[in-house]
Amino acid sequence: MEVISHDIVIVGAGIAGLRAAIAAAEYDPKLSIGVISKVYPTRSHSVCAQGGTAAVLREGDSLELHAWDTVKGSDFLADQDVVELFVNRIPIEIVKLDHWGCPWSRDEDGKISQRPFGGHSFPRACFAADYTGLHEMHTLYGRSLLYDNINFYYEWFVTSLIVDDGIAKGVTAIEIKTGKMSVFKAKSIIMATGGYMRIYNFTTYSHSATGDGVAIAYRAGTPLKDMEMVQFHPTGLVPSGILITEGARGEGGYLINANGERFMRHYAPKYMETAPRDVVSRAEYTEILEGRGFKGPFGPYIALDLRHLGEGKINERLPLIRDVCIKLAGIDPVDELIPIRPAAHYSMGGIHANIKTETPIPRLYAAGECSCLSLHGANRLGTNSTAECLVFGAIAGVEAAKHAQSSSLPDIPQNPLLMEEKRVYDCILKHEGSERIPEIRNEMRYIMDDCAWIFRHGDKLLEGLKKIRNLKERFRNARVEDRGRVFNTGFIAALELDFMLDLAEVTLLSALNRKESRGAHSRIDYPNRDDENWLVHTLAYHTVDGPRLEYIPVTITKWTPQVRAY
Amino acid sequence: MAEFVKNIEIKVKRYNPESGKVLISTYTVPVYKGMTLLDALLYIKDNVDASLNFRYSCRMGICGSCSVLVNGKPMLACYTQILHLNVDSILIEPLPNIPTIKDLVADVSSFFSKYRYIKPYLIRSTYPQNEILQNPEDQQKYWSYTLCIKCAICYAACPASIDEKFLGPTALSTMYRFNIDSRDEGVKERIKISEDNIWLCTACYSCTLHCPKEINSSHSVTELRRIIVEEGFVPKTVRDVLSNTFLTYNPWGMPSERRTDWIKDLNVKLLKPNEQCENLYFVCCGPAYDTRCHEIARSTAYILNLIRLNYGVLGVNEWCCGDHMLRLGERGLFEFLAEHNVQVFRDHSVKNIITNSPHCLNVFKNEQPYSSLTVNVKHYTQVFAEALKNGLIKSLREINARVTYHDPCFLGKRNNIFEEPREILQSIPGVKLVEMSRNRENSFCCGGGGGRVWTEEAPYERRPSVERIKEALGLNVDIIATACPFCVIMLTDAVKALGLEDKIRVKDVSELLKSSLT
Repeated sequence: MEVISHDIVIVGAGIAGLRAAIAAAEYDPKLSIGVISKVYPTRSHSVCAQGGTAAVLREGDSLELHAWDTVKGSDFLADQDVVELFVNRIPIEIVKLDHWGCPWSRDEDGKISQRPFGGHSFPRACFAADYTGLHEMHTLYGRSLLYDNINFYYEWFVTSLIVDDGIAKGVTAIEIKTGKMSVFKAKSIIMATGGYMRIYNFTTYSHSATGDGVAIAYRAGTPLKDMEMVQFHPTGLVPSGILITEGARGEGGYLINANGERFMRHYAPKYMETAPRDVVSRAEYTEILEGRGFKGPFGPYIALDLRHLGEGKINERLPLIRDVCIKLAGIDPVDELIPIRPAAHYSMGGIHANIKTETPIPRLYAAGECSCLSLHGANRLGTNSTAECLVFGAIAGVEAAKHAQSSSLPDIPQNPLLMEEKRVYDCILKHEGSERIPEIRNEMRYIMDDCAWIFRHGDKLLEGLKKIRNLKERFRNARVEDRGRVFNTGFIAALELDFMLDLAEVTLLSALNRKESRGAHSRIDYPNRDDENWLVHTLAYHTVDGPRLEYIPVTITKWTPQVRAY
Repeated sequence: MAEFVKNIEIKVKRYNPESGKVLISTYTVPVYKGMTLLDALLYIKDNVDASLNFRYSCRMGICGSCSVLVNGKPMLACYTQILHLNVDSILIEPLPNIPTIKDLVADVSSFFSKYRYIKPYLIRSTYPQNEILQNPEDQQKYWSYTLCIKCAICYAACPASIDEKFLGPTALSTMYRFNIDSRDEGVKERIKISEDNIWLCTACYSCTLHCPKEINSSHSVTELRRIIVEEGFVPKTVRDVLSNTFLTYNPWGMPSERRTDWIKDLNVKLLKPNEQCENLYFVCCGPAYDTRCHEIARSTAYILNLIRLNYGVLGVNEWCCGDHMLRLGERGLFEFLAEHNVQVFRDHSVKNIITNSPHCLNVFKNEQPYSSLTVNVKHYTQVFAEALKNGLIKSLREINARVTYHDPCFLGKRNNIFEEPREILQSIPGVKLVEMSRNRENSFCCGGGGGRVWTEEAPYERRPSVERIKEALGLNVDIIATACPFCVIMLTDAVKALGLEDKIRVKDVSELLKSSLT
């Protein structure tokens, strides 16, 4: 197997991965950095982020207020030291992006414009129309091309993390164009592979966001934290699930039921449509369950009404949304209601990592949505995710660089490489099974939508867990129908599905075990928050018998839990 | 569930690098309302043929992964609804102009390496502590260019990109985007990167026409050239064209008095100063000075006489329309020429203008100061097609030939005149008109636009004109017809370069129509 060496290897080239690469490259120009991405960076799911990035920039706002909003939004499951660091750092990141060329939307005085967003008590979302993710990504990608010590591996798929003597030493990766596996060895490895909401069917996610890095770290021994905490975004376009930015409500859009009523007044009288996402999604779903949804060919839905904003404001602030609605739903939001319902949108959980992005495995770092630094707790506020990718991507880059400066390249043992080749090629690509990959994948997604959606119940979670475990068995008898090596997307899809099944299992088990309702995790059988027993983080460890759960306390610095109302 | 509408046939061009096989796979796909082409490809992959490979990710037109060629037109599969295509059979192919890795997967690596060359980041010497102030109006100047998703559709459609020296529309529009960003100070650094290759752009407009984000890359190239011209970093070939035109009012640098050489024995009214003229035939420097093209002017005049149109020509008072100069970035020269011509049109009280060249047509219709004139501008093919319909042109003699028609970019892509030249050709008895696969708005440029007709220096195999002639040859045609003097010049040169003079002839539509009348 060919060996490729870099001081630092970064897996994933979305906002977090690129930000990490730039930070490391700037920290020490002598360090060689390899960025491995299964897609060209500009194809990363980060480009789908629309609404904005939160930062305290103006008088009237304060770091303390941003931190409090985040902690309250998290339903007090956030680690407050992480939150405090985060709100401190994000303003610098906004300015850096500006200096690198990001076309932030501007006020008349030339300063960066900010708009309201759900759960934030001050308009602090910096945005670039509703193309925020696209512009942050293209700014970072452009900037990353400045550094000669950043080396890109476009369209390489990482399959495993090599941990030896309890230390992360490298990754195995397949060059998709040739189907050949190589091993990358490095002094520091950063996971920045994004979330895993493709385990659901109705989701805002890109097809490629399958959480590979989360599963890879899990299998290599890193615990996954708070995986039951899944965010449902209130406005997924029906029927595709494509994201309609929360910015649409931030700019003044209404949510209405079939009776034409702005129903949010019953659920969050003060914040109305700009309450946090868990609150709004539950409200919408309650309206639907109680029969007040609109009826449509794809099931009941809620309407997002932007008509009163007028064509001018829609074109200026929400041009992408208008284009997507016209092109993909045949609806012009200037004149018509947009059919929406909640869609799986974000994984608060992920690879357990601390405030410095260090995972429990030495030399392995994690940043962005694949990680769980416990910034978002049980519910993330809109615009805090791109912000997290920037802040902790940068921290991961610096931490990884510091470590790389003071260590030497590891030796990689042969055994795990041989085992990985066997797993990937013999047990998956060439396996003579009878089960079809697309069928297992679709079943997994329907099970997750059915059993681990907005409102959860122990019986359904258990049923889902059993069904996913059965799918895992069936996967062992699966067959990749195309056996070619060159750019075989069916083969890659099989590897992704294998990972997603693990993540679905951990999500279900973690949810089953958390016997309370907190943030996005709403148990019908345990409808109340239970700080006495459940003010803790779930940690799921990989074992041959399935996930083993442990719990660790939440870090509280300033804000003691209180009733969360909007 | 969604409403089923109909079954459609989807053909996919396949390539398997492991076996070397190229083939077309045909699938039947049940289409529902709202189904995109990507949905259809995923349906095929999941249910019919797992071996089909293509890229995809965001399925909302923002990641740029799924660009493919659909019935000859490049587009994003995820951003195209099948029912909007209004056809029952769809051929999907990988992007052209770019090597194929497998099936619909194009190798975009060189596209991305060129992007790196242009320094796609802000360049500044000092930075303030906070954001760099930029008012919304300054941002609006470059905003539309920031929406590029790097789908490579423009690159695949770009005739200049067959020469690897050319950076391509994406890289150049991004270069322009940074150059005009009020926060940036890197213009001079970036000029160096493009000054020896930007002249390869033919201003054909394909990049702009096909861009899913409606980015006017074509305009950005013109504007980049303008900056280079202003800075004076112009290669000799370009400088010669510009100075010839400045001194003699035509790009060839020929004396004004020879502008009427083509007339010879023909009965053509040369307008006297201030003589009233309702219908002006604007000849264009090409047919006026290029000896190969004299026959285009003569044919046009002959037919105008035949349909008894009362018209005049300006003779020495006709100056170059300036279209090529504008595309070469010399807006000042363009305005100098245009102001003269506009004054002359006014002096003669011109109401209708008939042009030989699509380039003259284009500036007269679309560029100030011409476009503010209240003049009705037509291409000669429009006039002749109408005359044929009205029975003013009759008794056409048979021309037994297999003919293909090459759409001039400035006539078709920029001005939507696609059918009239074809109607004329089809009215000629004996002509069997066959289409090249790249036709109408998907046509492939001759390589002559944007001034390249005078600056062409590329090796033959990298000339768009040569590629175009090869495409025509594949149809076994006797004649490649077109309706633009510059296309005639470029294609004629390509035929000579390939040594194919006895195999294929290049003819202007006017010439063919005239030969069928004499």
